[in-house]
Amino acid sequence: MVADNGKKSKVAERGEEDSDHIDGELVLSIEKLQEIQDELEKVNEEASDKVLEVEQKYNEIRRPVYIKRNEIIQSIPDFWLTAFLSHPALSDLLTEEDQKIFKYLVSLDVEDCQDLKSGYSIIFNFSPNPYFEDTKLVKTYSFTEEGVANITGTTIKWKEGMEIANGNGHEKKGGKRPFTEESFFSWFGETQQKNFSDGVTDEVAEIIKEDLWPNPLKYFNNEADEEDFDGDEDDEEGSEDDEDGEQDDDEEDDDEDDS
Amino acid sequence: MVVDKGKKAKFAERGEEDSDHIDGELVLSIEKLQEIQDELERVNEEASDKVLEVEQKYNEIRGPIYRKRNDIIKYIPDFWLTAFLSHPALSNLLSEEDQKIFKYLESLDVEDFKDLKSGYSITFNFSPNPYFEDRSLKKTYSFFDEGTTNITSTTIKWKEGMNTANGVAYEKNGNKRPFPEESFFSWFGETQQKSISEGFSDEVAEIIKEDLWPNPLKYFNNEADEEDFDGDEDDEEGTDFEDEDDDQADEDDS
Repeated sequence: MVADNGKKSKVAERGEEDSDHIDGELVLSIEKLQEIQDELEKVNEEASDKVLEVEQKYNEIRRPVYIKRNEIIQSIPDFWLTAFLSHPALSDLLTEEDQKIFKYLVSLDVEDCQDLKSGYSIIFNFSPNPYFEDTKLVKTYSFTEEGVANITGTTIKWKEGMEIANGNGHEKKGGKRPFTEESFFSWFGETQQKNFSDGVTDEVAEIIKEDLWPNPLKYFNNEADEEDFDGDEDDEEGSEDDEDGEQDDDEEDDDEDDS
Repeated sequence: MVVDKGKKAKFAERGEEDSDHIDGELVLSIEKLQEIQDELERVNEEASDKVLEVEQKYNEIRGPIYRKRNDIIKYIPDFWLTAFLSHPALSNLLSEEDQKIFKYLESLDVEDFKDLKSGYSITFNFSPNPYFEDRSLKKTYSFFDEGTTNITSTTIKWKEGMNTANGVAYEKNGNKRPFPEESFFSWFGETQQKSISEGFSDEVAEIIKEDLWPNPLKYFNNEADEEDFDGDEDDEEGTDFEDEDDDQADEDDS
């Protein structure tokens, strides 16, 4: 029978003195083994497809919940700004100026492509503001079959004088940054194509998508370590952890107002 | 209403001059937000459970196929030894002596615990041999919810003189090994409990389970880079079959 000669090479060492009959058995065994591997591969592909189906289904279930959530968040002033500032990694990314801009941040949205595999977008929605013309800043990641990540980001239409003030004027693509105070908004300009083999595509994106987006309330409440929270909350501008004590303060203020 | 004071903390900064009414609305919004997060968490748990169900189902489908595969492999002499030696990482782990021992290796088996999450074991089955009494060497990894991993392993019953020869006599738990030729079999002795935060770092186990076990034929055939194979095969002890006709001719002549 015609056999793939490559497959026989490793066993030829042993099979020199064997008759063709045994060699033939070996070859047969290897062929059967290959069939088994092919069968396993089909099973694995089917498993991956089914897992993806489940994830796609639950992603669709989550969408309306996220939309509902967005509406509730509108009633909480500076929600996303607070959440960012309470996140251990993200807080470092906002300069003083960025924080002022974030006061105009109306909502954040993370949307997967419908099939989940092809990519996702992170959208920052702003109300009209003195910093840039845009009301929507989007960064999109598209993954191709070959493992390449295509990244696109809104080119921000900064209003006059606003870009330099934010340290964005001298931004270099992906290289060293002369300003110590790098603006968060330079992130929208970082759009080089990357390969998965290079490692993490975009850490900020991953943190927002995988960590902040699923449960921003946890950070907003500074509940990352809930046991510590009640005891150690020490930037006490208005911490009312000590219910009785603070209440008294409030009541005192009220009294003052009344008088 | 009774409200978790912690949640009000962040607003109080802004809300000092607000009336109680607005504070009340804020608190209500935050409570509603918490309910949404709880809803999301339920959805996520359900999704994880469903994904695990799928994986468990396919693991059961794979079981009999692996058994069938094992039966076929018995007819291929030195299959696992060859596959190990052809694997870029694993080949470095076998000393000369280990390779001799591996000639008695009948089969390899990787089995997940039924629920998949709790762990798995890797079993090396040997025919009777001059090196150790055991027929089966097994290493088991158990994962607990708290994130710790328990590792248990066969204590090899080496036959007289065989242990030292393999350089494992001086093995220290997880530390420096004075012998340059470390035996692969010392891997069975490495059983310190680790927490996942340290990173589950039994690389050998991961390579065997995730890379070798799913498709050992790929390595056996040295097909890792298939285009190179036919051209670059240069440890030519027996690649006569590349040129089948010549070989046939030789045998006929002799």
